[in-house]
Amino acid sequence: MKNEIKIITKNWGQINPRRIEEYISAGGYVALKKFIEKMTPQSAVEEIKISGLCGRGGAGFSTGVKLESVQKEPASSADGEKYFICNLDESEPGTYKDRSIVDNDPHLLLEGIIISSLIIGAKKTFIYINGNYRKQAEILGQAVEQAREKKFIGEKILNSKYNLDIEIFSGAGAYICGEETALINSIEGNRGEPKMRPPFPTQCGLFGRPTAVNNAETIANIPWIILNGGKAYAKIGSKKSPGTKLFIINGAVKNPCVAEVPLGVKLEDLIEKYAGGMQEGKEFWFAQVGGSSGRLVLQKDLKMKMEYDRDGKIPLGSGAILVVDKTMDIHELLLSWASFFRRESCGKCAPCREGTFRLYEIAQRLKDGEISERDKTALEDILWTLRNTSFCPLGKFAATAFSDAIEKLKLLQKYE
Amino acid sequence: MTTEKILLNFDPKMKNLLPALKKISACFGYVDENAAQKVADYFFVPLSKVFETASFYDLIKTKKQPSLIIQVCSGANCAVESAYKIIREIENHLHIKAGDEFNPNVKLEIISCLGQCGSGPVMIVNGNVFTRVMASNVVGILQGYL
Ligand SMILES: Cc1cc2nc3c(=O)[nH]c(=O)nc-3n(C[C@H](O)[C@H](O)[C@H](O)COP(=O)(O)O)c2cc1C
Ligand code: SF4
Ligand code: FES
Repeated sequence: MKNEIKIITKNWGQINPRRIEEYISAGGYVALKKFIEKMTPQSAVEEIKISGLCGRGGAGFSTGVKLESVQKEPASSADGEKYFICNLDESEPGTYKDRSIVDNDPHLLLEGIIISSLIIGAKKTFIYINGNYRKQAEILGQAVEQAREKKFIGEKILNSKYNLDIEIFSGAGAYICGEETALINSIEGNRGEPKMRPPFPTQCGLFGRPTAVNNAETIANIPWIILNGGKAYAKIGSKKSPGTKLFIINGAVKNPCVAEVPLGVKLEDLIEKYAGGMQEGKEFWFAQVGGSSGRLVLQKDLKMKMEYDRDGKIPLGSGAILVVDKTMDIHELLLSWASFFRRESCGKCAPCREGTFRLYEIAQRLKDGEISERDKTALEDILWTLRNTSFCPLGKFAATAFSDAIEKLKLLQKYE
Repeated sequence: MTTEKILLNFDPKMKNLLPALKKISACFGYVDENAAQKVADYFFVPLSKVFETASFYDLIKTKKQPSLIIQVCSGANCAVESAYKIIREIENHLHIKAGDEFNPNVKLEIISCLGQCGSGPVMIVNGNVFTRVMASNVVGILQGYL
């Protein structure tokens, strides 16, 4: 594919990710220099707002608006601290885009983290990384050391007035810790349960200080925006959500891949052009978009555009796409979804704690072909309760694919 | 290595509670009551707080673990690549059931996605990761640990 726009993957396979010199030769850390020498935190945040960049962690919230609100937050506490947190907890099934960024170009992420931290006025930043990503934690640790030696991190960065310390915090195996308030609880030494909001982390986050939490992929866009300006970024991809996105395409396709593609691309094209189409002899059944929390898409809807859109029917989520063919035993997938959410429910609220457990039991009975009339009514009740009464989005996620399987795949019909 | 020595690597600040517990669990296989009390004293928190935090996380164990721990990812991508076949194969071969804790020597655990979805199904035996596992290889892999 010619004339591709590459923002995040431009160095992949081109440079040695372990050597900061190679990143610098490829034009790295120029954005940081530009920010320090020619920009103010206010002008930088303005560019990010103009760019239209929105969060790649799932919710699609405007990154510029978030950074600005922390920037403007008066440093109310005695020490005047604010925190920036890079969310690298990535544990949505089918998702390994943030891991791929670290594997291939850790300094791009680091440069984005440094600039974002300085923009909001943070002197201390955490990278919260999935506890299973041990190699990636080590790569980032090395990258931080290299950047410190070059004076991109530490006291008086590049002889400016800016100071910044970056600490890598490894998670301990809990999907819910990807949710920002649970993540904050986890760094504070608590159980990783979500907190009530308001107050939002931007006002009262880590240790009660104003805190910006951003996804790693979101942050990796920042150096490009600082270098090329918000206007140039806003021209890429879709009007509703500009820029490129990493899609992780797996399942019954010929070439499973992580591809950087401008937003607004049709799902059909991702499968056909980027992942090489269906494997020989396999017939498309449905695709699940956004990991196990995501919705199911049938053949007739494959022309839908992939973009972050508040009114969109199919949320992009993490950008994971699982292509399922007609030979798949759907009961195994139901069991996979149900057991995932049962395990990962944090237990704070009853609808999700009990609902995911019941859902799992029913999935097991479905698999054994023993579903009863009572189960069928209960299933509707459980899904409704999960969707409408859960404390945090995880409970809703648990109901999503199941509900779609019932509605779109006519799951229960054969039991009638 | 002793719990005290591990603790000395950490400032007694709350942000270090989870990393310290993880380290102790990795070092001794689990956090026993004795170690938990030392952690509580070191961080100036009640013992109940230490267990409250420790018991929440998959990578921190609060009970003695069997000598053989087999974990299989059943995330959707691995499920599509026949993870459940692998699970059945292990269950049949070792006469255990996934999730049961009756056998003090061996445990089969179903776990969530490890970010290796591109090369599933994924199986971990005592910390060693095997990717693209096929049902026909399972017995061979286990043989190395029995
Ligand atoms: C159950 C759950 C899991 C989440 N997991 C992640 C995750 O692994 N990585 C991530 O960046 N965001 C995750 N999020 C979203 C975060 O709460 C938060 O919105 C995001 O980190 C903000 O960054 P962004 O604006 O750059 O997307 C999760 C949210 C929920 C409800
Ligand atoms: S919905 Fe689930 S994960 Fe969220 S707070 Fe309730 S129990 Fe915890
Ligand atoms: S689904 Fe098994 S490693 Fe991701």
